[in-house]
Amino acid sequence: MSRSLRIAHLYPELLNLYADRGNILTLCRRCEWRGIPVEVEEVTAGDPLQLARYHLVLLGGGSDREQEIVARTLVAERTEWADAVAAGLPVLAVCGGYQLLGEYYELPGGDKVPGLAVLDLQTVAGEPRLIGNIAIESPVCGTIVGFENHGGRTRHRHEPLGRVLAGHGNNGEDGQEGVRYLNVFGTYIHGPLLPKNPRLADWILQTALDYAGIPADLAPLPDELERAAHEAFLARRITPEPARA
Amino acid sequence: MWIGKCTAFLLRLAGRRATSLPGQVALRFSPRLLAKLGQQLEWCIVVTGTNGKTTTANLLAAILRTEGPIVHNAEGANMTQGIVTALLQHTDWLGRLRVRTALFEIDEATLPQVAPHLPVRVAVVTNVFRDQLDRYGEVDGTLAKLVSGLKKTEAMLVLNADDPLAHHIGVTSGRRCAYYGLARDHAGEPQRRQMRDGAFCLSCGEPLHYDGYFYGQLGLYKCLACDFMRPMPDFLGRIEHDTIEIQQNQLPRVRFQLPTRGLYNVYNVLAAISAARVCGFNADQIAKGLAAYRSPVGRMQVFRTSPVSVLNLIKNPAGCDSVLQAVGAEPGDKVLWIAINDQAADGRDVSWLWDADFEQLAEDRRIQFIVTSGMRAEDMALRLKYAGVPVDRLRAVPDLDAGLSEAFTVSRQLGGLPLYCLATYTALYPTAQWLERSVSPVVPLSAHRPSVS
Repeated sequence: MSRSLRIAHLYPELLNLYADRGNILTLCRRCEWRGIPVEVEEVTAGDPLQLARYHLVLLGGGSDREQEIVARTLVAERTEWADAVAAGLPVLAVCGGYQLLGEYYELPGGDKVPGLAVLDLQTVAGEPRLIGNIAIESPVCGTIVGFENHGGRTRHRHEPLGRVLAGHGNNGEDGQEGVRYLNVFGTYIHGPLLPKNPRLADWILQTALDYAGIPADLAPLPDELERAAHEAFLARRITPEPARA
Repeated sequence: MWIGKCTAFLLRLAGRRATSLPGQVALRFSPRLLAKLGQQLEWCIVVTGTNGKTTTANLLAAILRTEGPIVHNAEGANMTQGIVTALLQHTDWLGRLRVRTALFEIDEATLPQVAPHLPVRVAVVTNVFRDQLDRYGEVDGTLAKLVSGLKKTEAMLVLNADDPLAHHIGVTSGRRCAYYGLARDHAGEPQRRQMRDGAFCLSCGEPLHYDGYFYGQLGLYKCLACDFMRPMPDFLGRIEHDTIEIQQNQLPRVRFQLPTRGLYNVYNVLAAISAARVCGFNADQIAKGLAAYRSPVGRMQVFRTSPVSVLNLIKNPAGCDSVLQAVGAEPGDKVLWIAINDQAADGRDVSWLWDADFEQLAEDRRIQFIVTSGMRAEDMALRLKYAGVPVDRLRAVPDLDAGLSEAFTVSRQLGGLPLYCLATYTALYPTAQWLERSVSPVVPLSAHRPSVS
């Protein structure tokens, strides 16, 4: 196999609030362990964006101020984004990056920060912040666990990434978390989402490899530690619902 | 004055530590208080610089106390109010200072304000770190403050010869200087994360050439364009096992037990010994003082367990990285135990583990095994796996007691390797207590130290 999987880490200097590198590290290692060549390119705010170069794009989370800067940069490239997403470009967008994929982020005063509008998705700032451990059930890759910390309430008309088992999710009301649309994955589960969720990591990798046209059979890896961390989190950090407790 | 004393009294009554507030309150009522109290001192030593002020001053205080009580802002309250608070503690209700010798750790920016009011006879500059100065964009500003502060004294300077920035202060101050530094054979290649901090010659602006590095910009530097170069240290330190041998010019060499660990702490010890010698203390007093020093909990804190263990607090990526570097700088093979809790005081979210540079553990072949514990033992083990640590050198044991026992068992099986313990805040104190209980009185520390070579 000569071609390598090319991953773009977008605006790491602005959207890297918390450990987004954990997700990239996980994708890289899981490729390396299977002998799949992989390259990561960091794209900073001033660089020309060439979405066609990549097989997977990661958009992380940032503070409100940083997110606004990114929003201004991104909106100029709306058409390119719409075309790439329609063509099936895999995108993993977390927290702030997730919100940016939608039409707008409405600030507390009513001002709307426009997003990329590649998804039929709207976010409104709310109080209090939705913080804590979360577990969701995804029809495609089972339980996904992690930590959420967001002020925004998001609603959309697509498939969710999963159904909330414990925690808040998109808006704390409809029991949905994240989004799946074509090959776009969005979620509020921030930071190291992928290490403890190896099935999700492999699902995203498979999607990216298919998109890249790289024939690859994602052979199972010895994931004992990954599963142990996943199970320990479910057992110790996800409080059972009061009815069942 | 008595307003300050009353504040201190009330704070202590309320069970609070009174390190700055009494001085702050007193200064509001009597702005000349520092001058009034300072002029009653006969002898004052100050310690300033970017890193190591508190440890250096505490080590030096332990030595000075072998001759009698001193005024000392021991808890690191190093601005004007902290200094006044320390003075007030030794003042009677008539405003008379009962102790005439003082040792103050002083913030670089505070030095020019307080120096004129104190009879500073000796001033120690530990180091001036470029990385921090770069961040604040005021390398020249901080150096100028240090120089102007020192010019307002009659002090003799005790300076780090290996730090070009501290040396520059010596050159421009016009004061008499004594330099301390490490022996050449301790120098190594630049370390990965510190390569960015290459220093420039402050005399002519050319990049400095290095024959070797100790850490950061500390090393064997010389300017190829002018005559600025590392001075020959008046106090030369050579580390061997857990001792430091001091060579003072042509005098016979003297060996002291190191009371702390980590290369950055060796510099603090060297600074304290040099300053004590400059103040006229002899080797016996220095040895007695160093033996009396107790390092704070979780800062390369050594426990005479079997095998020996060293405890460190980790709580955020930057601090964790410097602890990992300090552990990496320790000689020989070793075993690690890392305890990660996620209670409120630790932070509920442990995402930061992925921002810390645990990759340096994977690259260090001398780390033979790592046991992880705490409520997030599995997360920590997973982080290490993705950092590149082989899975067969990793074990997650969530229970703290069981994990520590396991780590000691592994250490013994591997021939008595030292155990380095890293713990988040809520795991730190239970760990310190566990290690304290396990201290074996019969085994000397040196029996478990691997050799430097």
